[in-house]
Amino acid sequence: MKALRTGNILALCALLTACSQQLVGDKLVRGYAGDAPVNLSGSWERDYARGDIVSVEVNRVLRQIQRSAIDPRMSNDRIGVANTSDTRRKISRVLALAQLADMITQVDTLTITQSEHQISVERKGDYAISCEFYEGVAQGPETEYGNEICGWDGHQFVSRLVLPDGLRVSHRFTMSTDGKSLHVSTTVSTSATTTPFTLDRYYNQFERPVSAFNCIETLSMKRVCSTGEIK
Amino acid sequence: MIAPTRARHRLFAALLTGACICLTGQTATAQSPSLNVSIIVFSPGIPADASTHRRLQVFPRIREFESRLLPFVLRETLVATHTWGAVRVVPEPDPAAELYLSGEILLSDGRTLALRFVAVDASGRVWLDKSYTQLATIDLESRRPASGIRAYQALFDEVAQDLHAARALLDDKALQDIVQISLLRYAATLAPTAFEGFLHRDPGGRFSINRLPARNDPMLERIQRIRHVEYLMTDAVDEKFQELYAEIASTYAVWRKYRQQYAQYQIEEAAWQENRKSTAPRGSYKAIESLYENYKWARLAAQEQEHWARAFDNEVGPTVTRIESRVAELDDWVDDRYAEWNRLLGEIFELETGLGE
Repeated sequence: MKALRTGNILALCALLTACSQQLVGDKLVRGYAGDAPVNLSGSWERDYARGDIVSVEVNRVLRQIQRSAIDPRMSNDRIGVANTSDTRRKISRVLALAQLADMITQVDTLTITQSEHQISVERKGDYAISCEFYEGVAQGPETEYGNEICGWDGHQFVSRLVLPDGLRVSHRFTMSTDGKSLHVSTTVSTSATTTPFTLDRYYNQFERPVSAFNCIETLSMKRVCSTGEIK
Repeated sequence: MIAPTRARHRLFAALLTGACICLTGQTATAQSPSLNVSIIVFSPGIPADASTHRRLQVFPRIREFESRLLPFVLRETLVATHTWGAVRVVPEPDPAAELYLSGEILLSDGRTLALRFVAVDASGRVWLDKSYTQLATIDLESRRPASGIRAYQALFDEVAQDLHAARALLDDKALQDIVQISLLRYAATLAPTAFEGFLHRDPGGRFSINRLPARNDPMLERIQRIRHVEYLMTDAVDEKFQELYAEIASTYAVWRKYRQQYAQYQIEEAAWQENRKSTAPRGSYKAIESLYENYKWARLAAQEQEHWARAFDNEVGPTVTRIESRVAELDDWVDDRYAEWNRLLGEIFELETGLGE
């Protein structure tokens, strides 16, 4: 996991990034009629030339916090930063969110399988984001530690992980019109602070090389491969 | 196993010549008859709402398989008691059976097996309508739940005991009546005109004997021979299912072992979480990372289980398909013959009595 550099965190950036912070789930549609609006199936690899730089995003958010904390009674020529304990707490919580968002969005490749009844986003080193669709109702997995709420918001597939203490991790998947690129916007928020943290990642579709072997998983013999058809 | 054409020749030879086709355990003795038992393939208990399968950890293909495997465990258990006549697992409902047993899987999660059984005799008397629950027995060496379906043998033993107790409540006359009612009900489905009136059915669905056909009634003898042929076919289907059971039993044992380990993991994980209270301040990275990681590992474990369920399907799928197709052939043959028997008996009855069927 990438460590966030404290120096960067506290420095204020002069320029704001163009990326917008999108709150996930405001328009989440859990029920829909007919076919899924987009087929996201395929193998996707991270496009490192695009997407957010964590430190830049952190600085942008910190700048917002500190701006909102400026004492309005101060005159324009004496702009200062209110260094209250409340602001410090806000900053430390946003840093925690940023660190978690950074950890979650480290994934290099995504493998998405989509059928009439299910979408599964496999991520190496993490659980697969999953959503089932029966009779037009989207249903995410539920565990005793949290649950996923999912669905379509227009042409975007949205999955929101709801965890204890008001922690939320939302992923919004948007495919480009030519189908070659996938934009994944990940937002982490918590009830401990009103400021969420969003990181945008881009992935390009790629074809996995065709293997000379046909393989299947079995229970007693594990992985079984053959150059011919497996019966 | 009997090839359909060979069996067909035997059937018609039997019908025309009156040759005897005998079946072990079929003949009822004059006293204390050993009832034949038909166990219908269990209802798999798969919720109709597919969206609940993941939450309830129901893997439909495996439940389907269990619904075919578990009746054989009960069958073996009943056979071992030496209390019953022929004990068959039948693919289709057989309400005219001397004792008809149906079961439903309520829960099968690796730790617990819960089944519901209903046993009804040919007269419509309910012997048993009860749910049974059994935790997997603990292996003394590993101190873990024993693997394989035998970990739940106590459940099947209890069913066998309850059936035995229900049988003990009936006297010989009642048992003989069940045998006769069973045959007459079967006969009435094949030749309704010839056999209507022998039985009385009360509003509650219970059958009683009005009168009996003559001991040497040729039509009844034909019916008995046809029933024997049908039993032969049922035994052939039964044999196929036993073949399936034998071929897949070792894979199924691996699956059950995995399910038991998973169930054990869930219990240990819950206990661990209960005792582990995070001291990290609310909203800190340590605190939110811990929340995320808990969810992540729970999902990874569940995904692993789904992965092994698919692996089970991959492994047993071809065998199940092969045997299902063979069983379907046998079933089709029996269905075809049923229509032919019906027609043939109608014609014979007409010839013998001058009455149309």
